[in-house]
Amino acid sequence: MSFKYLYIVIITMTIIISGLNINQDKDHNSYSLITNFKERTAGDNITLEFAFQGSSDVFLYCSNSYGSIMLRPKLGKTLLFEIPKSISKKSGILNWQLHSDANLMSGQLYIRPKSKIETLETYIGPPSIEAGGTDYTMLVIVPTDNLDNPLADSTKVIIKHQFLETHKRDIIYTEHGFGYKNLYAYKENGRMLISSECLGLNSKEYDVNVMPAIPTNFKILADRIHSYADGNQITTFKTSIIKDRFDNTVSDGTFVSFYITNKTGHKSVTSGTTIDGIATAKMIHPDQEEQWTVKAYIEGIANSEPITLNYEQAVLDLNISFSENNRLITVGPLQSFMKQQVPNGLNIHLKIYKDDALVHQLIEQSVDGFGHFKLYADRYPKGTYTVEIKTAGLTKSFADIKL
Amino acid sequence: MSYVLIIALAIYGISAVLSYLNTGADRGKMLHTEIKQVDQYVPEFTWTSLSNKGRPIDAQTLAAIEKDYLDAWYVKHVSYLTNTTAGIDDYYTESARENIFNVISLNEQQKTNIEGTTLKHHPTLEFFSEDGQLAVLTDHDVIEYKRIFNAEKLVAEINEKSTYKVTLLLEDGFWRIRHLIRVKSTPIKTSKNTNPKEFIGFKGINYYPQASPWSMYGDQFDTKIISKDFQIIKSAGLNSIRIFVPYEDFGRHNVSKDKLEKLVQVLDLAENHELKVLVTLFDFYGDYSVLNWSLTQRHAKIIVNTLKSHKALLGWDLKNEPDLDFENRSKDLVSAWLDKMIAFVKSQDSIHPITIGWSNVKSAQLLNETLDFISFHYYEDLEELTEHYKVLKSKVKDKPIAITEYGISSYSGFWNPFGNTEDDQAEYHKTIQSIFSKQQLSFMSWTLYDFNKIPKEVVGKLPWRKNAQKHFGFIDINGAKKGAFKFISKE
Repeated sequence: MSFKYLYIVIITMTIIISGLNINQDKDHNSYSLITNFKERTAGDNITLEFAFQGSSDVFLYCSNSYGSIMLRPKLGKTLLFEIPKSISKKSGILNWQLHSDANLMSGQLYIRPKSKIETLETYIGPPSIEAGGTDYTMLVIVPTDNLDNPLADSTKVIIKHQFLETHKRDIIYTEHGFGYKNLYAYKENGRMLISSECLGLNSKEYDVNVMPAIPTNFKILADRIHSYADGNQITTFKTSIIKDRFDNTVSDGTFVSFYITNKTGHKSVTSGTTIDGIATAKMIHPDQEEQWTVKAYIEGIANSEPITLNYEQAVLDLNISFSENNRLITVGPLQSFMKQQVPNGLNIHLKIYKDDALVHQLIEQSVDGFGHFKLYADRYPKGTYTVEIKTAGLTKSFADIKL
Repeated sequence: MSYVLIIALAIYGISAVLSYLNTGADRGKMLHTEIKQVDQYVPEFTWTSLSNKGRPIDAQTLAAIEKDYLDAWYVKHVSYLTNTTAGIDDYYTESARENIFNVISLNEQQKTNIEGTTLKHHPTLEFFSEDGQLAVLTDHDVIEYKRIFNAEKLVAEINEKSTYKVTLLLEDGFWRIRHLIRVKSTPIKTSKNTNPKEFIGFKGINYYPQASPWSMYGDQFDTKIISKDFQIIKSAGLNSIRIFVPYEDFGRHNVSKDKLEKLVQVLDLAENHELKVLVTLFDFYGDYSVLNWSLTQRHAKIIVNTLKSHKALLGWDLKNEPDLDFENRSKDLVSAWLDKMIAFVKSQDSIHPITIGWSNVKSAQLLNETLDFISFHYYEDLEELTEHYKVLKSKVKDKPIAITEYGISSYSGFWNPFGNTEDDQAEYHKTIQSIFSKQQLSFMSWTLYDFNKIPKEVVGKLPWRKNAQKHFGFIDINGAKKGAFKFISKE
């Protein structure tokens, strides 16, 4: 019997005590953080552990540099929150807040980037610069770990470059996650090879073209097989080797215009682009005695001194004959400086005047040393005309031609 | 017959495919030149003065960086709200966007959605590369606000102030985020009002012109009428008015210059008649969605900065009866918006007091810690007013209290045969004035005029409500002073 009472008492006590416990728990939920690290390295397993009394119906708000998530705890004697890898792998501040209905507690961790390098993210530009020591290209380096986090600031980066005989190393330290270096051009043109090194990792090779600077003034000369104004041969103009002020030959393809001014002040232009610093351009000879003044320009940048070229008269005389009642005019034979036929295509101008008024003018081109003009009766009625013929700078006039 | 139909459909289908294939790529789309710019995200964005390393930056590039950087934030907010990835590709480089996709997939698993926004950015340009393809900036003290939803239930509200280091690359005409690192972050508490503004008691009235209630700044805007009305108000012994600035009507974040000018004219006229003006912002605003907060902030910035040095300004009533939106938009959301907006208006105008025109005395204790004076609207039984006031007074301690709307309709007619008469109205005003003078309460009555037309947005479409709303005035529709006019400013 007494055991029976004892049992009843014990059971009653147990119920009362457990009931008290439950009540206490409801009133006093308490949570405290067990993990005590403030910093972690990216990629570490990060688990936040909380000791708790009372309700385990809580969640953890957690945000990294890119976004925020919500985590449910793993239940045991403590509350365990495993931060997913994709969150813990990004460097920066990781905020957390423990929530039930209200915000219970909050804190933050700093996630360091790894100290081991994986990639040297390199940006270089501009890809071509001007020789002379004032222009430069810029190398930007973002060393990152294998989780794509920029390495910690003040990481040492060695920047190496080679140019002609020069080999150079520069040391920089990263700031705001990157390092940069301005690489200045040398006085010579050429190709600069650039690479970088950080924590034993070497980048690939980058190259930057150091282009010659702008051209300086130059000389020109003319080349021709004879100096006769035969309207057939070609005079070739050439520049001297065009250089910049540092004595670098200018880039191939530099455009040069040659301006030709004749005796009467008329201008013609011919042009060429440089190869190995020399530009060439051609112009057909004049067909009458001429004096050319030639000056070359790289427009807006540089020019040459003018040169003068004289062309001698090649056709010395005009033979003109009238036939078929003066209605056929034959010009020729037109002979050049060795009495050879002038090349086909020499322009012959004919002007016809009646009573001092210009009636008509005709142009023919020579064929085999001759030019022919036919004056048709329906176009030129009977009467007296003055005929003037002009070719190769020579003029002959015939008055009182009766048609 | 059906055969013919099938053939016709087939031909149509084939021709549609062919004509689609024949259209070339839209050149505008290829080059991102089409004009699709709609401002949807305009947080405060202040560059610190430029002294960046590398190449000096030009204004145009800086503006391009600013635009794309803000768009990057915006698309991220949208992505986390909906757990979709639209637009992320345009504003994050290939390796950076992975991080966002990871967060989205985690949140999708957990059925978490995050409604967030940022309200302030203070970027410093650290570096701009010589070739103009890379920029690094530090965005200081970004004010972030997030609402975390789990299974569509709001579970947490987050307020953070963070500093980010950002590396941007120019790719395909977009400045894309390559690296984003949060280097500093602190949770921020909702601001307590540490420095309450001086409150000067007032005797006033809610004002709309008789011909254009609730649309004061439209084509019917007439300074002569307003001036005449202000003369009536002033000579009736009142010293202030309460007016409304409708949010949508004023053009949201692109505040209409024309309307703003009219608003200033109203204050000028008030100044001429020695009246103070309580300006009620965000009238008819009811959206509250977090992504649009930056737009409301811009709206407030423009209005507040235009008026804050005006001599006639009495203070800011942040919003008319926001507690009525609790049901549809949730109390948390509306309160969060109000809290942010109070802090913002304070940051823009450090002089004038701020209040919220709560629709009833019970709501009036909400957010009282952050407000400069408490105001509520009272349309209930006058006998209970003193008691309500005393309860409120004990809760808000030494904060001044004002009633910024009260009144009674003198409508009795077809829709309400047992309504109040003009005599009842006069009696009501006489009684309430005696309470005001006894309790030394500041007041603003509803309203000067009886109106002919009530827009449906005000009290809905029901005729008994509309008709009642037409007869709250002290002056009837023919311009005659009603009995209540005698008690417009005193017992």
